[in-house]
Amino acid sequence: MAMNTVTARAGEANLVFDDAFLRKLEQLELLARKIFRGLLRGEHTTSRRGRGLEFSDFRHYRPGDDFRHIDWNIYSRLDQLFLKLHASEDDVTLHLVLDTSASMGFGEPSKFDHARRLAAALAYIALHHLDRVGVSAFSDGVGAALPPIKTRHHMARLLAFLGELPCAGVTRFDSALRAFATRTRNPGLVILISDLLGAGGFQDGIEALRYGGHDVVVIQLLAEPEIDPPLDGALRIVDAETGDELDVTVDADLRRLYQHRLERHLQDVERFCRQRSVEYLRASTAIPFEDLVLKYLRQGVHLR
Amino acid sequence: MIELAYPLALLSLLAIPLLIALYLLRPRRRRIVLSTTALWQAALKDREPRVGFRTLLRNLSLLLLLASALVLGLALAGPQWLSRASGGADMVLVLDVSASMKTRSGIGRTRFDLALAEASRLVDGLPRDGRMLVMTSGHKALLRTAFEADRDALHRALAQVRPGDETGRPREALALALSLLRGREQGRIYFLTDGAFDPDADPGSPQVEFRVVGAPARNVAITRFDFRQELAAEDRFQVLLTVRNYTDAPVVVPASASLDEQVLFRRSLALAARAEETVVLPFTGRARGQAIGRIEVDDDLAADNQAFAAVNTDDPLRVLLFTRGNFYLESVLQAMPNLDLVKRDSPPAEDIARLALTYDVVVFDGIAAPQLPPGNFLLVNTVAPGLPFSDSGRLVRPGTLVRGPSALMGDADLTAVRIDQARRVAIDKPGPGLQRLFWSKETDLALALLEDGRKLVYLGFDLAGSNFPLQAAFPLFFSRSLEWLRPAGDGFVSTHIAAGSTWTIPLPASETRVTMRMPSGRSETLASEGGSLLFDATADAGIYEYTLAEVRRYFAVSLANARESDVNNRWAPARRREEIRPAGNAAQALVPLWPQLLVLVLILLALEWLVWTGSRGDA
Repeated sequence: MAMNTVTARAGEANLVFDDAFLRKLEQLELLARKIFRGLLRGEHTTSRRGRGLEFSDFRHYRPGDDFRHIDWNIYSRLDQLFLKLHASEDDVTLHLVLDTSASMGFGEPSKFDHARRLAAALAYIALHHLDRVGVSAFSDGVGAALPPIKTRHHMARLLAFLGELPCAGVTRFDSALRAFATRTRNPGLVILISDLLGAGGFQDGIEALRYGGHDVVVIQLLAEPEIDPPLDGALRIVDAETGDELDVTVDADLRRLYQHRLERHLQDVERFCRQRSVEYLRASTAIPFEDLVLKYLRQGVHLR
Repeated sequence: MIELAYPLALLSLLAIPLLIALYLLRPRRRRIVLSTTALWQAALKDREPRVGFRTLLRNLSLLLLLASALVLGLALAGPQWLSRASGGADMVLVLDVSASMKTRSGIGRTRFDLALAEASRLVDGLPRDGRMLVMTSGHKALLRTAFEADRDALHRALAQVRPGDETGRPREALALALSLLRGREQGRIYFLTDGAFDPDADPGSPQVEFRVVGAPARNVAITRFDFRQELAAEDRFQVLLTVRNYTDAPVVVPASASLDEQVLFRRSLALAARAEETVVLPFTGRARGQAIGRIEVDDDLAADNQAFAAVNTDDPLRVLLFTRGNFYLESVLQAMPNLDLVKRDSPPAEDIARLALTYDVVVFDGIAAPQLPPGNFLLVNTVAPGLPFSDSGRLVRPGTLVRGPSALMGDADLTAVRIDQARRVAIDKPGPGLQRLFWSKETDLALALLEDGRKLVYLGFDLAGSNFPLQAAFPLFFSRSLEWLRPAGDGFVSTHIAAGSTWTIPLPASETRVTMRMPSGRSETLASEGGSLLFDATADAGIYEYTLAEVRRYFAVSLANARESDVNNRWAPARRREEIRPAGNAAQALVPLWPQLLVLVLILLALEWLVWTGSRGDA
């Protein structure tokens, strides 16, 4: 059953999903490459063999195995005991981890709005497939959190939560994610939505998520003016998070050096993620939201 | 030391705070909030890793602006540097015009031509702010221009210079040039010469630069030429001629001497290398006229191939003496050479004016003199009417005699003179023409008067009543008095001087003008009011002729100088040190500094612009 319209208003956020968009979302499936231990059965088939209904494989009988899973047809033909294995079907907990530091407020539309809409869309897809969805905000630490929810009836609550999130503070990526990994008891799929432009490093935070047993997807969201800054002349630029000021006179040469630095940063993030089997997606606020969800994210592994 | 011409202009420095305010009010940077500044900071580091340098550049811009304002304020105040000796570009050009500069040096050129060409080059190379003074060095040093910056004027002055027949005296010329540059230790003296002078001419100053011109030359010269009268033989004379060979080869030189175009002798002289020979030849007859000695030789210096002499026989001095008898006076007059004495023992019956024209000097000794017309008079123990002084009685044994600073008295010693009785005179009309010769504390005893064509010497006591005739000053007094009253020669005289020397012409009281005829044929009228005339335009060798008291007289000018004719004995100047020693008494001058400061302001502003542009690009 599809919701015709889901609307949440909080602050200046206006998270509206029209009917056609919601139907498109329902076509998507979230896949988990790891076997999760689900608290409730969901629509995901895990690679954990066991008592599930769907046949998966055979193996030799070992003393102590349940006789009820012996395939007697094979025994009659081969005179050997084989145990019939079935894939266990588990639900998946999706952790949407949202960067709410002040730097996310940059851009028109802001990266923060874009991130919340993206989070809402991902949550909707997960709930549609009977997965559990939790949302956590972080900046210099773990901020507001929405405990995992299971049913689509809670979608309005999730949207209200997203709409009320503030966009402020300094990014402490590593410490915040370490705290999140420690606090979360159910390993699952963590989709981290951030610009990754904090002054500190990001590596320890992602490593902490991996050590916590999570399957991690990093979505780095950048505003278009950050990729190709439309700046020129004598400026005093102010850091949105720290308030630090820097006098610059921007010209083509300096813009080239800036983009070179940004490219190096993005490549560092991507290389780090690839080396640790962390899915990495880079997105721009210039990409229309629907295209981002329906086409761009489908290029990834976890969405098909 | 720096002085300010306009100190009030320093008030413009008050504009510096305004400048700071303007600097601070420069357009502010646009403020932009970005998600992070870290990447921009990294980009800046990529462009300019030295952040401290950028900060310095930002501050440097203000500092350069402040420095510009400060220097501009100083420039407006008109600072002037009190500099020692600003006349660094002043030069003195000394041209050698001595006879040796006439030496041939190449085809159709003389050493002087070479020196003149070098002088022209120096004038052409005169710096734009430089000045040059042109002077010549002959027997005398003559300034041809003042310190002059006009090259054309300097060239015109050079065009008028020509060498004479003079003996060079470069030491005096260089001393004068150095005195002209006193206080200008950067000044230079260029001495353009052939070097034919003695080494002691070099003053040893590093300011003097010798530029020696000319090539070696061959020369044979007359170094002496003279006439003399044989003793006790009024009609027998001797002519002396010395010829010197300055070449390194023996020569045979035809030599001759003539007097008023009458050849006295002619013979060939065989001269060894660098040897000389003197010929003394007696002759009998009249010795009066223009004498010329010649050698006929084709050498490089023609000026010393002839020499000149003027032989004069002066008319005797005619003296009319009115006296009743004076042994001492008559003796001293008769002892004087070339003097015709006529004696009378009574006052003159005829016209005294005619007597004054007939006789060179009229003497009154103890006889009352009439009113004196123009002429030359000697009054002894008598006073004439109509004079600026008059007789006012008798004086017995006047006190110690005091001598005045007169040329007539010279340094005659009068301390032992004793006088029994003297005339007391009163000065009625003192004037510049009346000169006191000697006196006692009571009255004047000897006077000289020169006024209205009248020359007079007065002696106020009887010679027989004093011991004055026994003193050495007695003949000296009368000799000088007669010479002053009517200058005359002493009979035969051979008058010749070195080229460039001064010739003195004594003038009678009635003569104030003399017409001089030069060897070139040009005549010039000269005037003098002082009883004698000094004539120094004698650079050219030859006979100079003038007429005085209707008598034609001569004097000769010759080179006849062995050193000047030695044209190959040339002195080579030692190499000078380049540096100029600072003078102890250097002149000082105020040098304006505002042009340099203005240039500095422009440089500072240009630097500020560069710094500002650079900081815009870097920050």
